[in-house]
Amino acid sequence: MNSATPLLEVEGLRKSFAGVHAVDNMSFSVAHNTITGVIGPNGSGKSTTIDCISGFQRPNAGRIRLDGRDITRLTPQKIAKAGLIRTFQTVHIYEAMTLRENLLQAARPFQASGWVADFLRLPGMRREVDAAMVRADELVDMIGLRKYYDAPTRILSYGQKKLVALAAGLMPKPRLLVLDEPVAGVNPTRIREIEEVILNLHAAGESFIIVEHNVEFVMRLCERVIVFVGGSKMTEGDPKSVQQDARVLEAYLGIPA
Amino acid sequence: MPFLAVTVVAVAAFLPLVVTSSYILSVGVTMFLYLVAAMSLNVIYGLLGLLSLAHIAFWGIGGYFTVIAVMDLGLSFWVALPLAGLFAGVVSIAVGFPALRLNRHSFVVVTLIFALLTTLVARDWVSLTRGPMGIPGIPSPYFFGHEIAGAYSFYYLAGAFALVSLLLLYLFFTSRIADTMRAINQSEDLARSQGVNPTAYKLLAFFLSAFFTAMAGGILAFNQRVIDPLIFDFFFMQAFLIMVIVGGRGSFVGVLVAGAVMSILPEVLRFSVDLRMVLYGLALLAFVTWAPNGLAGWIRERREERLRSELRQ
Repeated sequence: MNSATPLLEVEGLRKSFAGVHAVDNMSFSVAHNTITGVIGPNGSGKSTTIDCISGFQRPNAGRIRLDGRDITRLTPQKIAKAGLIRTFQTVHIYEAMTLRENLLQAARPFQASGWVADFLRLPGMRREVDAAMVRADELVDMIGLRKYYDAPTRILSYGQKKLVALAAGLMPKPRLLVLDEPVAGVNPTRIREIEEVILNLHAAGESFIIVEHNVEFVMRLCERVIVFVGGSKMTEGDPKSVQQDARVLEAYLGIPA
Repeated sequence: MPFLAVTVVAVAAFLPLVVTSSYILSVGVTMFLYLVAAMSLNVIYGLLGLLSLAHIAFWGIGGYFTVIAVMDLGLSFWVALPLAGLFAGVVSIAVGFPALRLNRHSFVVVTLIFALLTTLVARDWVSLTRGPMGIPGIPSPYFFGHEIAGAYSFYYLAGAFALVSLLLLYLFFTSRIADTMRAINQSEDLARSQGVNPTAYKLLAFFLSAFFTAMAGGILAFNQRVIDPLIFDFFFMQAFLIMVIVGGRGSFVGVLVAGAVMSILPEVLRFSVDLRMVLYGLALLAFVTWAPNGLAGWIRERREERLRSELRQ
């Protein structure tokens, strides 16, 4: 890892649907060990950009590099293995599995042992499970849901499910975790808890991109904020300067400059 | 649980020493083979939620392959049987590779068409399969000089085969491989975002379901001593499906219990020849109405309800 290389570099990204450019000439980069916020009005290309970065949609043009490595046309699973994990706007968790199983499953693709070791329960596989269990124990305490550790996640509330998705994303210690609206529809006390979790992890060296409509949440957490408008980056900067940028206010809040 | 399992196996092993009715023993043979076929359908349909109607094709392919390998190629039954499993497995990969690129609904249609095509081949490739007349006079397998013929010895052959297959499948159902399949079934996007390659797991599930079913079909053919295109009859497919649905998709124990009950129930209901199928149908309707997620699903839902009320306090 060369600290001069940005952690994530997006260059000239374009994605069109039936001739309409959802994202056009999108370029931005994210440094190591940062929390970067992405804001923008509806239809500004936030979700499409995340989908392109994480491989769920194929861009029509542009380059995406993770820590210098080109990940532009890789499948979602390969991008995840390369160290970029994303969460989803609508909660995606394994509802029929327990919280513990959700976390262990999230670590599984990053472990070395294959099908034979799994089938025969070889010692290497057992060691991996033990190691993942230690990590899961830390995370379940961090999100404060130990009480529900062995309960199927189906019974949890919406906000709690969002926390499970967050913890699952953190299980493999990704280089970069992209959170798609982590606090949409979550009650204010819970939002505070999520903030704390993210700050603690950041202190431990984790990097985040947070896409959120909740501007206060983004302003409190992020060191840098990128503003998307109309499918490309309009501006970026520290929270204060972005907040005072007249163009941002106009685009975001509809207040004429 | 282990105690119960050992008891059941012991009772099944000593049953032929007490029961001499070859009718009851032949019901046992059918049950053993259905159990393996249903449990292997439970891999692809239960764990991954992919309804494979090609299951009946692999069952028939296994039957024909074993018979032809023994009678025309002169192979030993003991070599031909695992070869039939491998052959069906290879076919499943060839079919699965394109079919699994499609969505779940299209997968059902493609597997159905494959099943219909195999029936056509069995009926019309007369030089290989002898067409609708079938292949009669299938010779008995020999086990260390001991001829396997009749209900008594087939009970032990099918029983040993079911025991080994189900043990392997049990290890599989309780492994992390099966857990990842359950994860893919619940949210394929989430699994991909976590680094899982779903296609590899789907192909493995399809392979395993074909492998075990084909061998069960092979034993069935030797037990019947004749094989004809009726081995592709949809009756079998429907029987396996009912066992998986009633037992609870994805549950090993549920499908095991349902498979045993559903193999024996139609025979027990023979006391009333007229009402037999009506009663069978009523039992099914009751299940679909009150336990749509099967036996295992019903138990799981009760347990979850209790857990919910506990956690509320």
